[in-house]
Amino acid sequence: MKVTLRTDVLTNNNKAAEYNRELFENTNTLVINLMSSPGAGKTTLLEETVRGLSDKYRIAVIEGDLATDRDADRIRALGAKAVQINTHGGCHLDARMVAATLPEFDLDETDILFIENVGNLVCPSGYDLGQKHKVVVLSVPEGNDKIPKYPTMFMRTELVLLNKIDLLPYLDFNVEEAIGDLQGINPESKMIQLSARTKEGLDTWFTWIEGALAACKPQ
Amino acid sequence: MHEMALMGDILNVIHEDAGKKGISKIQKVELIVGDVSNALPDALHMAFEIFKEQNKVFFEDSAALVIHREEAKAECVVCGKEYIPDQKLAFCPVCRMPSGKIISGETFQILSYEGRQ
Repeated sequence: MKVTLRTDVLTNNNKAAEYNRELFENTNTLVINLMSSPGAGKTTLLEETVRGLSDKYRIAVIEGDLATDRDADRIRALGAKAVQINTHGGCHLDARMVAATLPEFDLDETDILFIENVGNLVCPSGYDLGQKHKVVVLSVPEGNDKIPKYPTMFMRTELVLLNKIDLLPYLDFNVEEAIGDLQGINPESKMIQLSARTKEGLDTWFTWIEGALAACKPQ
Repeated sequence: MHEMALMGDILNVIHEDAGKKGISKIQKVELIVGDVSNALPDALHMAFEIFKEQNKVFFEDSAALVIHREEAKAECVVCGKEYIPDQKLAFCPVCRMPSGKIISGETFQILSYEGRQ
C-alpha cells in the first residue's frame, strides 16, 4: 500500500514555530534569532547589547549550546533573565526546544528576547523558531569566504553584523568584497560593521533594534 | 550530523500516519530533497540505514529510501530569465544585477511511503 504525504519534513518544527510566533505577537515581544559560527562573538555582543539597552528595555535571552551553562551565566551576571538550552550534541535549536523554555519567561514583561543559536553556519538557518528577525554575526578573523561558502545562512537572514572590525588593520578581510558577496546572495540583507570589544558601531546596531521594536509594538 | 535528527522527524511523521492507517511494516520511503535545502542525500541514506537497523519491527529488511533531487533554480525579477544559480545565487547572468530569486531547490518533503498491514 502506497501513501502519498507531500509533507514538509520540518512540519512538526513549523507547527511549534507558529505556536511560538503567536505567543510572541500576543505579548508584543520582539524576538531575534542570532546565529553565527562558534567564536564569532555572539555572547560578547549580547553582553554589550544588554549593557547598552537594559536601562530602556526589558531584555531576556535564550542560550543554545551543546553543553554547559557558561553563556547563560554571563548574561545573568548582567542582571538579565537568561535560560540555557543544552542540545547534548544537537547542532541547532529547534522550535520545540524554544517552546519548552517559554514558561520560564514572563513575556508580558519582556520587550526583547534574543535567542542565541548553537554556533554553526549550516543547520540553524533551516529551522524557524518563531522569531521576528534572523540575524547572523560574521567576524573578521573568519575570512571573506564564509558568505559564498555558506549561502543558505546568508540567504535566509536579513542582517549581517560584521563583528571584530577592530582587527581589520591586522587581517586580510576585505569589507567591500564581503558587501559584494552578500549582495550577490541576498540583496535585501543589510550589513552593520561593529566591534563588541571596542563598542565601535554598537549604536547603529541599537538603532536597528529600536526600529524593529517600533515596528513590533501596536500603534 | 543533523540528518540524523531530520530522519528521526521523517520517521516520526510516517510512524504516526502509518499507525492511523493500520500499516505496521514499512517497505519504502520517498523524499524530495532540494539542492539548497541543507540536507545531504548521502547522510540521509546513512541515517535511514541506522534507524532501519534499530527498528526492525517497523521496517522490512529490504526497506529502501528513494531520494528525488530537486535542482536549484533562480529567476530574475527584472528580465524574467530563469537560470541555475552559482555561488552568487542572486546574480542574474543577463542583467548582471543581484535581482534573482530562488524559485526551486528549497523543498524538503516526505513524498510518500509504502508499507503493509
